[in-house]
Amino acid sequence: MASVTYRNVTKRWGDVTAVRNLSIEIPDGEFLVFVGPSGCGKSTSLRMLAGLEEITEGEILIGDRVVNNVAPKDRDIAMVFQSYALYPHMTVYDNMAFGLRLRRTPKQVIDERVREVAASLGIEQLLDRRPRQLSGGQRQRVAVGRAIVREPAVFLLDEPLSNLDAKLRVEARAFISKLHQRLGTTFIYVTHDQTEAMTMGQRIAVLRAGELMQIDSPSNLYDHPSNVFVAGFIGSPAMNFFDNVDLFEEGGKMWVDTGYFRLEVPEARYDLYRPHMGKQLTFGIRPEAISHPNYQPADIRPSLIEANVDVVELMGNEKIVYLEESGKTFLARFDPRADITVGQRTGAVFNMASMHLFDQETEQALQ
Amino acid sequence: MIGKESTVHATQTADEQADVHVISPDVSTARRAFRYDLVLATIIKYAILLLVTAIVMAPVATAILGSMRTTGEFLARPFGLPRNGIQWTNYTNILESDSFWTATKNSLIITVGVAGINIVLASMLAFAFSRVRFFGRGLVFNILSFGLLFPLVVAILPLFIQIREFGLIDNLWGIILPLVAFTLPYSVVILRNFFIAIPSELEDAAYIDGCTTLGFFRRILIPIARPGLAAVATLNVVAAWNEYFLPLLVLTREDKWPLPLGIMQFQGQFGTEWALVMAYVVILMVPALIFYMFAERYIVTGLTGGELKG
Repeated sequence: MASVTYRNVTKRWGDVTAVRNLSIEIPDGEFLVFVGPSGCGKSTSLRMLAGLEEITEGEILIGDRVVNNVAPKDRDIAMVFQSYALYPHMTVYDNMAFGLRLRRTPKQVIDERVREVAASLGIEQLLDRRPRQLSGGQRQRVAVGRAIVREPAVFLLDEPLSNLDAKLRVEARAFISKLHQRLGTTFIYVTHDQTEAMTMGQRIAVLRAGELMQIDSPSNLYDHPSNVFVAGFIGSPAMNFFDNVDLFEEGGKMWVDTGYFRLEVPEARYDLYRPHMGKQLTFGIRPEAISHPNYQPADIRPSLIEANVDVVELMGNEKIVYLEESGKTFLARFDPRADITVGQRTGAVFNMASMHLFDQETEQALQ
Repeated sequence: MIGKESTVHATQTADEQADVHVISPDVSTARRAFRYDLVLATIIKYAILLLVTAIVMAPVATAILGSMRTTGEFLARPFGLPRNGIQWTNYTNILESDSFWTATKNSLIITVGVAGINIVLASMLAFAFSRVRFFGRGLVFNILSFGLLFPLVVAILPLFIQIREFGLIDNLWGIILPLVAFTLPYSVVILRNFFIAIPSELEDAAYIDGCTTLGFFRRILIPIARPGLAAVATLNVVAAWNEYFLPLLVLTREDKWPLPLGIMQFQGQFGTEWALVMAYVVILMVPALIFYMFAERYIVTGLTGGELKG
């Protein structure tokens, strides 16, 4: 078990900077998720920690030890790959025992550990099979088994669920979360899927183009995104943004005018927002903060508008509604009982307690 | 394979037709036309296959038939059947001669030497060219694959001088080393493609599991690339086993001759013992045939790159 520290880590390939000045401290036993769109540097960050990529600048520590020049095998880490990377010419047993054998662990100990881990993952009946005889879900478990059998200090997972179908993925998410609780080891998990990040991570590091945008707990990322990118990336369907909004006071109240409609800002934010009046601002609100007037939650700061219903997607437990006003489309999550018809006008209530304002130039949240 | 497929098709259509009759006669007519096409296609397929087989097998058949008869019979009717009983003496004469077994031993040394050295060198070269990044890799590989363009015969004179310089005339190494040199480009090109197809995540996993570069090569890459190695080995074995020209130039002493040169012993001053030559050729083919049957399942996958998912 060990903590992991990234200290001003930069990775460059020629002129291309894949990771820029990354500094993160990951305490022992944490489940940290790197998330971001493809090419954001999340895999590179993980591979530098694994020792599979050289570090251009800065240093990475596992525990108290700088590992920049330590070979992967001596870093006391294990990794699960997207393709699982099982050795096709070996049985499941040999795949799991391989790392231990290379470390000259006594045969008896290897056998005990492999069987114990296999039993805990429910794959003991597969030990004599070869990878090609396994289903995707089974391979994934074997890959995890191969990693935990070595009892590493840090666990690295690089998009381990991307090759599974949707149903298996949900199961595997819970399985990996439970595994983390049981082992108590540091887990570092890379994914492009914000749902995976939100459901599994204790903390999430959001990366874009090699830069750390924000690192925080899932609920803080969701409720208090520190910039437009994080606000748009976390949450599905994504947050609605209205650019070039007007922030002003009138009749003792503060208002946001999106150009399509006018919304009342809650008093609690007056002091925070007052210094930013006159700047170019972006207003953000999540679809779940927009409800149908007949089904609005009790404890919100309602601000009623009207808009055209463009598209309705009934999900069973909710209706995703595409609302349109003067050419601007935004999404709302309505109660499934809400009686609306495509092409008609409907009322929509904005819960202004969960509004966000961003400086349009710096893309930073006003907070 | 084709035969099997078409039987399956035929039974399917017959079954379906039985159902179709009840539903609609129109569809049934369409089915019949379809079936007619299928039969025609099958006939054409078989005709072409038989023709190709005949062309390939004719010389082999000639050799086998010739080996069963006397030289006189052979000269009278080259493609006739043995009417005066099978002349087993053709075979026993060869198999009982010492020179045959000496030649067999020489051939085996050459074949095993060429294939063995080739596999070891080619796999290491292919590893460097496929998975190690170094300056000038592309250039060096291009120079190596340039070797594909030059058959041994083209370079025979300088090659002969070189062999003589090394004092390898009448030495089996004088055959083995040049053959390795000239087959190496093929082997490296084939193996390199094989190694490239092995996912890099496997390499990462091996390093994290505790492998060194050599360990990855030995424990992961080579076992996975077995089909490729088998294909390369087969090509080398066949090439070395059948090599005629180089031994003819380099080996003057009869006790160093490999099997293909042994045929010359039946060419007397006054004529050729055709029956013995034919029997000899048949015997010569057998080991290559056995080896091919043994390695056949690897060769097709080996040469096409193979499926390496796992």
